[in-house]
Amino acid sequence: MPPNSQPDETTIASRGDDAPTPEEVAAAPKRTPRKPPVRKTQAKSAENTAITANAASTADVTDDESAGPAAARPAAASKTAASRTTPSKTAASKTAASKAAAAKAATAKSAAATAGAAKTAASKSEATKSTTARLTAAKSTAAKTAAAKTTAAKAASLKSAAEKSTAARANAAKSAEARNTSAEKSTAARSAAAKAAAAARARTDKTARSVADSAAAAEPQRTAALAEAPGRTVAERHGPEATTMPKVAETKAAETKFAELEFAEPEIFEPNIAATETAVLKIAEPDIAEPRTSEPTAAPDVKPALKPVAKRTPRAAARKKPAPVDKSAPVVLSVSNLEKRFGQNVAVAGVDLEVRAGSFFGIVGPNGAGKTTTLSMITGLLRPDTGSIRVHGIDVWADPLAAKRIIGVLPDRLRLFDRLTGAQLLYYAGILRGLDDETVRSRSADLAAAFGLDDALGRLVADYSAGMTKKIALACAMIHSPRVLVLDEPFESVDPVSAVNVTEILQKYVASGGTVVLSSHGMDLIQRVCDNVAIIVQGSVLASGTIDEVRGAMSLEEKFVELAGGRKVAEGMEWLHSFSD
Amino acid sequence: MVAQFLGLKLRLLANLFRRSPWRVVGLAIGLLYGLAVAIAVVVFLITLRFVGDVEVIRTWMILVGSLVVLGFFVVPLVLGIDDSMDPRKFALFGVPNRSLSFALAVSALIGVPAVMLALVLIGTVVTWSRGFGETILALVAAAILLATCLLASRVSTGLAGLLLSTRRSREFSGVIGILLLVLAAPIVVVILTIDWGTEGAGILTDVAGVLGWTPLGAAWAVPADASSGDWGPAILKLLIATLTLGVLWLWWQGLVARMLVTPGREANLKQYSGLGWFDRMPHNALGAIAARSITYWGRDSRYWVALIMIPIVPVLVVLPLTIAGIPANYLALLPVPLMCVFLGWTMHNDVAYDNTAIWLHVASGTRGVADRIGRLVPALFAGILVIGLGSAISVYFFGDWAALASVLGVSTCILLAGLGFSSYTSARFPYPATKPGDSPFAQPQATDTAAAIVQSLSFAGTIILSLPALIFAILGIFSDPAWHLAALYAGVGVGLLAVCAGIWLGSRAFERRGPEMLASAVRA
Repeated sequence: MPPNSQPDETTIASRGDDAPTPEEVAAAPKRTPRKPPVRKTQAKSAENTAITANAASTADVTDDESAGPAAARPAAASKTAASRTTPSKTAASKTAASKAAAAKAATAKSAAATAGAAKTAASKSEATKSTTARLTAAKSTAAKTAAAKTTAAKAASLKSAAEKSTAARANAAKSAEARNTSAEKSTAARSAAAKAAAAARARTDKTARSVADSAAAAEPQRTAALAEAPGRTVAERHGPEATTMPKVAETKAAETKFAELEFAEPEIFEPNIAATETAVLKIAEPDIAEPRTSEPTAAPDVKPALKPVAKRTPRAAARKKPAPVDKSAPVVLSVSNLEKRFGQNVAVAGVDLEVRAGSFFGIVGPNGAGKTTTLSMITGLLRPDTGSIRVHGIDVWADPLAAKRIIGVLPDRLRLFDRLTGAQLLYYAGILRGLDDETVRSRSADLAAAFGLDDALGRLVADYSAGMTKKIALACAMIHSPRVLVLDEPFESVDPVSAVNVTEILQKYVASGGTVVLSSHGMDLIQRVCDNVAIIVQGSVLASGTIDEVRGAMSLEEKFVELAGGRKVAEGMEWLHSFSD
Repeated sequence: MVAQFLGLKLRLLANLFRRSPWRVVGLAIGLLYGLAVAIAVVVFLITLRFVGDVEVIRTWMILVGSLVVLGFFVVPLVLGIDDSMDPRKFALFGVPNRSLSFALAVSALIGVPAVMLALVLIGTVVTWSRGFGETILALVAAAILLATCLLASRVSTGLAGLLLSTRRSREFSGVIGILLLVLAAPIVVVILTIDWGTEGAGILTDVAGVLGWTPLGAAWAVPADASSGDWGPAILKLLIATLTLGVLWLWWQGLVARMLVTPGREANLKQYSGLGWFDRMPHNALGAIAARSITYWGRDSRYWVALIMIPIVPVLVVLPLTIAGIPANYLALLPVPLMCVFLGWTMHNDVAYDNTAIWLHVASGTRGVADRIGRLVPALFAGILVIGLGSAISVYFFGDWAALASVLGVSTCILLAGLGFSSYTSARFPYPATKPGDSPFAQPQATDTAAAIVQSLSFAGTIILSLPALIFAILGIFSDPAWHLAALYAGVGVGLLAVCAGIWLGSRAFERRGPEMLASAVRA
């Protein structure tokens, strides 16, 4: 490992740590209002990307380590960009942009002089809506505007990747190799990057996309070319990996708005990205650090990007929660032989669950499987026919008061006291939970800020939208800092941005030893967020364990469909394909 | 199309019987009762056929008939009836507006009010079958009336759905209804002041004459006029009635067209600042629950209705008694205890008013005492106000200040005993109540006998517990003023005991039966 890379790694690692930590996130949003959304989006995109792509990570990593950062940067940048793009929309573009920016900065620095005369221009996410963009890492030092643009590579799914130019991949690979190769290569790459950057600037701005695109397209090639000579050998070695990674492909340079960011800014973005990625993916080498801070900026960028890509494919979900099952953790919720029937209808038929402290436990099941019934019994809202439920050693139905103190509840489809304003409801919930006046007020303020409800606190809950109602109820569930949070469909009708936000809050809560039990229909979400899962069908637990244990070789969704009775083949629907008019 | 809608309406009606047995029994009793009334009216109308005094029949027929038409129009508007055949439910089927309007209007034929009305109208045809021409006219008028009434109710239901679709305006509709009631009071007074013995008949005839020319009474007047030999006016009124029906039909069509593209309105958003009552009450569970209750009394129309009824009830009771000739100074003692009866009694199903929101109390492990007392706070505040001010005013009009002790004692006893019963019954026997956000008059179809038993028992129990104080007070007024003090002591003592016992029992029930309370709210 080159000396450069090490610092990077450490930095990255630290960032990775940071991401989960509440303070930073919490603090950051306050300071810079705009950023939080960006991060979230980034996080998402990163996750998505992770899912899509995997392969390259190893290759990338090696590259980074062995080689100079320079070469790697472009490639990395592109990858990152690509990956982010996939997710889509703004979010994607934002991430891409930010990364691109980072990359640019990096290149610029390294090439021109790390010194920071160069400012990175970050393309703002808004600006870039673009799409398939490829990110060129051009960054204009002097001229910020310029911009370079990022293009987000549409990494998109492997599919696109496949189609996409092999050429692109080759380029990427080459560049990667180049990095590995070493000084010369790196220099070469850098120069290439610089050129590209220059080109990009030239095109910049309004000239717009077409120019950008072409430029973008050109750049990789150049870099590739430059890199190639030196790097071939390397390329060959890494060949396979490299190929996988690049999803580079289509360029979309959207540069609409490049914002020039000072170093500080890009750093901020990147760390987030890096952090999220690392967190999510749990890459083998967490260290990948982010580039900017350290001079090798470029390198770092590359790394994070690469990693996410690599990991995504297979087990993206599992990664985040590194320690899916800490077998040594105490069992905080144990349910045994729980049964409930309504008349002739058996809603829950002998459910057994064991949830350990610090786990993020998902319960999935088809409609009417008994999820809500089970959760209601766990939280003391519905009296079970038989069976026992112990929360942190306390029997919920023998000593309900003590048990309820340590459980936070978000029920599904029950009303709230909706003639109260949001602030009043939060306060009410806090006081009922036995908190004192001052604590409730400060926590209410924190929760409102965390859930983005500040503006809504003065309105009646009856006038809230479904998603806001869910959020205020979620806030009410947490206000007494319970040991266990039991959430029934917490993300139903919550918008994606808020959902990421909530997820983040919950993940931090879990990281600090809290336990979350939630039900959801979103397999994707469960797979991504939870470390343990139970599949309930017709009132019985059909599978339970870590995500990986439960799903085996399939995706969670496939496993779920299989357990829930398999996909029904829709027959006799041919008429649907001949339209009535 | 029409046949399908009729079938749908029939199925909807039939499904009413697929609920719990008790509801079916209640529904059946209601149907039988309606049918019995209708048949009685029909029999009465048939006997009228053999009465010779056409003028008197005409007058009453027009008066009552106008009220019926008015009722079909106003009742849905005020009560905000839940419309199972709301045009908006068919918006996505792409039915042409004209046929949809027609089918919906025809489907209104199936329903208890429509059937009763049809029976009665057949009766009127018999009443006026005093010749060929008269019978034909009566038949036509009856058909027009049936269509007019049904269309009127469809239109007003539609209007209610369209204009009162937001939460807030829905709540106000209930209050509008009460305002109408209050406004009607002067009319009642005017009516009561008329010397019916001498000039009553003349006035009624005049009113009927005027109503006969209005859309409300025209159709009713047609066969009557014909029977009296006034064929000219009869034809003219038939025209008026037909025109009315035409206008209603066009209105209904327009309304359907409008409703199909008006899914609902956005409520205006009002911003509140601060925590309101939560700032002013103690910062503990009891205080918070009290603050929440007070806030609800102020913001929830279901509570407003209870509050507004409190001053209205004494008026409704005292007015007829005044007319009956009971000395006013004795009547002055009645309002305060009456108001206390209602104040205490309104709380008897308080938990059900929260509907499923009660889960928060259950999940928080709220102490029963805090919940019980907290909920009583607004009623106690109101009660203290009523008893304090009201007693003084009452006794001032009564004229003997010694009676103050009695009024205080009896009122306090009734209020506290009522609250005691309410504390227990609302936790132990909640029954379905109007849901939050519904019109306060839209009672759930809970012909639950349990509900009836709870209502009457808590009411009767309150009165029984207050009997000692009441008896002492009566003795004090009519026999020896010394009894007044006894009434005060007995009243306050019994009241305090009752409320404490109620709270204690209620707390236990609340803590033990939290999940059951929630379950009954979920079922409601």
